[in-house]
Order: sequence, then structure tokens, then C-alpha cells
Amino acid sequence: MSRTISRWTSRALDYLATRLPLEHLSFRSLVEKKEVPVHRMSWAYYLGGLAILFFAVQLVTGLMLLFYYEPTVSDAHASVEHITRHVVGGALVRNLHTWAASAMILTLLAHLLTTFAMKAFARPRELTWVTGVVLLLVVFAFGFTGYLLPWHQIAVNATKVGLQSIEEMGTYLPAALADLPGQLRVLIQGGPAVGQATLSRFYALHVVVLPLVFLALLGLHLLSVQLHGMSPGVDRPTGRTEGFFPFFVLKDFSLWGVVFMLLFAVALVLPFESFFSYPLFAAYDPLGSTPDGIKPEWYFFFVYYPLELLPFWLVSLLSGAATAVLVAAPWIFRRSSRRTLSLLALAAALYLFVVTVFGQAIYETFRGGGG
Amino acid sequence: MRRLPKAAGWALALILVAATAPRAAAYPEMEAWVEAHSGRSVDCAMCHTHPDGPEGVKAGQIRSLDAEELARLNQARAAFEPGAGVDSPILNDFGDRILNDVGKRRFLEIRATDPGLLVNALGEEGDLDGDGIPDATEYAEGTDPLDPQHGAPLSLLRHNLARYWFDLLMLALATACGLYGLNHLLEWAQRAAQREAVEEPPPRGGGVIP
Repeated sequence: MSRTISRWTSRALDYLATRLPLEHLSFRSLVEKKEVPVHRMSWAYYLGGLAILFFAVQLVTGLMLLFYYEPTVSDAHASVEHITRHVVGGALVRNLHTWAASAMILTLLAHLLTTFAMKAFARPRELTWVTGVVLLLVVFAFGFTGYLLPWHQIAVNATKVGLQSIEEMGTYLPAALADLPGQLRVLIQGGPAVGQATLSRFYALHVVVLPLVFLALLGLHLLSVQLHGMSPGVDRPTGRTEGFFPFFVLKDFSLWGVVFMLLFAVALVLPFESFFSYPLFAAYDPLGSTPDGIKPEWYFFFVYYPLELLPFWLVSLLSGAATAVLVAAPWIFRRSSRRTLSLLALAAALYLFVVTVFGQAIYETFRGGGG
Repeated sequence: MRRLPKAAGWALALILVAATAPRAAAYPEMEAWVEAHSGRSVDCAMCHTHPDGPEGVKAGQIRSLDAEELARLNQARAAFEPGAGVDSPILNDFGDRILNDVGKRRFLEIRATDPGLLVNALGEEGDLDGDGIPDATEYAEGTDPLDPQHGAPLSLLRHNLARYWFDLLMLALATACGLYGLNHLLEWAQRAAQREAVEEPPPRGGGVIP
């Protein structure tokens, strides 16, 4: 028995030692000797860094917003209005926060798909991949919790719809587990309905819990990337590389400069809310009428429109399966060629693009009316 | 003991009625025209204080008004000609502006004939939120005439580009200076690596994947 335990312990330690080769944790390995492969997909190596830039913008602008935001149902909307209309630079900071959130998710999706296509999850980089997928889920949680904070019509009503979906899962579970999703919903809401308890919980999650979880996971993700170096990325390496420091880092900074300039310019001249109808941004009134066009943020459209068109159980099943496949990709696609992976990534990108951009048109075609 | 549950029952019934009652738009013809013309959904808050319109007991609705506010409401109701200095408690600044610039008589004619005529009647002059888009255009485009952050994206982009051109120019210059510096740093690093390569192979920055 003890021999079995020691064999398993030894195997587990070996496994971890291969995934986190801490012997590479030196200035020489991480900086002096680290090389970045140069090939036709080299641009994809910059996407992770770009996501970090957007996260940094989120962190700084989020801290600025914290100085004025009031997390109470009576004052949340008024405080956001105050930030936008009366605080110097408040509208710019809010726009930066909102645009950077969307840009971060877009970049992370591109990062995920290119990493998948380049088979960068292959042994010994499984840990890098899994932490990356969990980071993406955490970012979605950031989006979901942050959406509620302004406490306007679209925020509260879309959150209600999202939480309702959790409870509906119970219908498809065995009797012994049927109550669990409902209890989970009440746990997240903090009560039988979306109210002050929900706002307090989402606020705590958005500004404390999720950033801490994100930073811890990001640390592990970056450590793993640094210890293993960049993956070769292509089937036939060109044999050319460039030094990570200073060459890649300097190019990364240059890209950050250009992207930040674009982000700043867009936030300055194009308020995010101008793309929506104004009644959606009125203060939430539980006794008032619900305006048309309640929807989640665009980055949830890939699951929102299927939910509107297909049976709930089918979409839940497919979403669960897709998430499981995503997490287990290093093992499921262990023997797949990069060509196959590229085709799969392309199909996924096409699906995301079509549903996000044409989702409303598709919905109206099948349901024959406005949403 | 029996009165409390009964009172609570009535209160609940009232809340349910209020929550489920259809919204009574003050001027549904105007709303319908804006929505059809702009493709955006709008509500009474474009001109009224309350998004559900003037009928009701909430703040900004008729049955919540005190004597002084009712007097102002009656003054607004009698403002048939332009320039009456309307300050109605159930209208927002844009609603007041319509009555002050167009007059109630002309407004009722427009409503009965073609709500699109209000665009010409208001003219290109007023811009209550100062976002650069005239109130008349905001009415036609179904955007909030009192929110400088809200307007048709293209109109807002055009105006903001003209408004912030200097800031944008400075931003581009600052970025260009930063890129110039980084580019030179990169060039210097490349030359240093080449020099190092001549002195001691294998080279840095031009190696082979191990």
C-alpha cells in the first residue's frame, strides 16, 4: 500500500516538475537565453501581452471609478451619472474602462484560438493552457459582474435573465440535484430577487475577489510561459529566432504604445453607450416598464442567440461540452496535426464572428420579428 | 391583526397593477415616428421628466405635483404660441424647448399631420447637451438630446474628431515620440548583438531553436 502511495506521489511530483521546471527560474534562462521563434505566425505571440495591457488599463481605470462609485441600489446609477457628467475626465475614464473590457475579451479570444491552432498546449505546456482557459472564464465573470454595477435598465434586466438561466438548469438535472441550480442562483443573488444583496455581491466579486483570482492565475500562467519559453508554433520551424529581451520586449512595448493610442482616441471620440438606445441606460425602476432591446454584452452573444433560438437543454449541453473540450484540449488533441487544429480554430472563429455580428439578423429571420 | 394583511394585500395589488400596467405614452405618434425613422427604440424620457410619461404618481408625473408645480403645468398647457417661457414640471429641458420654440398650437398640428415636421420646426440652432449634434437631429436619430455621451455614433464621431483634434494630435505626437525612442533602442540592441556575434558566436537575437 505504502509503495503504491509513494509511486503515485513520485509520479505526481515528476508530472509537476515537467510542467513547472523551476530549475529554469534564473535570470539567464528567463532573460538572457530566452528566444522567440520567428515564422509566419509570430504575430500571435504578441496577443497575450496585449491582453495584459488591456487588463492594466482596466485595473487603473477601475481604481479611478472606485473613488466615486456608490454600490447601493439607491445611488449606484446616480454615482455613475455623476462620474460621466460632473467629474473631470470621468466620461473618458468610463469609456476607457468599457472599451478596454471589450478589447480585452476580443484579444483573449484571438489569443485562445491562435494558441490552439499553433498547438501551444502540447506537452509540457498543459498547465499554461488550462490556466489560460480558466483566465478567460474569469474574464467572462468580470464582464457579467461589472455589467450590473451601473444599475440601469439593461444592467439589471440582463442580469436577471442570466441568473434565470442558472435556475433553469435544474429542470434538466436528476431529482436529487434539481434544486442545486436554484440554490446557486439565490446564493449569487443574495436573496429571492435581484436587489441590494446582489449588487453588493457583484461589487465585491468584481473589485476584490475576481481581480485577486485573476492575478494569481495570471502569475501561474506567466510563470509557466516563462519557464517553458514560447512554443515552436508551426510544424516546420524556420530555424530563425529573436531574443526575448530586449528585441521582443521592445517590439511588444511599441505595439502597446500604438494600441493604447488607438484605445485612448476611441474612448475620447466615441462613447460606448452611443451604440445603444438611451432608455436602456435609465435608472432601473422595478415598477416601471422594461425597455426594448435588453441583451447581454456582445461577448455573450455566442451563447445568448442560440439560447433564444434553440431548446435550453441543447444549448446547455453543448456549452458544457465545449467548455470541457476546451479545458481538456491538451489531452483530446494530443495527436492532432496543426493543420487540423487550425481548421477547428478557424471554424470556431467563424462561428463567433457570425453569431456576434449577425446574431440579431439570424434571430429575426427565424423568429420573424424584432428582439 | 386582520387589518395589516389586508393592507399589505392592497399594497401588493397596487404594486402589481403599477408594474404590469402598459406604459401610457403622452404622444405615441411622435415616439412611433422617431422609432420608425431612426431604428432605435425611444421612450417618453426624450421630452418628459419620467420615462413612463406624464400620467402617474411618481416623481415628474401629474399626480405627484404640488400646487406650485400644477400652476407651472397649467402655464405650459396654455402656451399655444412660441416664447411663453415654459418650465413644465412634467417636461424635461427638451420638452420645454419644443413648447418655447414651436408653441403648443403648432406642435399639435405637427403631431396630427407629420411628426417629422418637428425637425424643421426646431431648426439646426439648439443643442441642449452641447455634444455638437443639434437637438432636432437627435430627435430624428432617436438619441438623447440631454446626454452629451449619447448620439448617433457617426454624428458623435464626426463632431468629437473636430472638437478634440488638438488632443488627438498631441496623443499621436506623444506616441510617435515614444515609438521613435523604442525603435532607436531596438536598433542599438541589434547593433550590440551583431558586434557581440562577431566577437563570440553563437549570436544573440539570431539563434536556432534548441
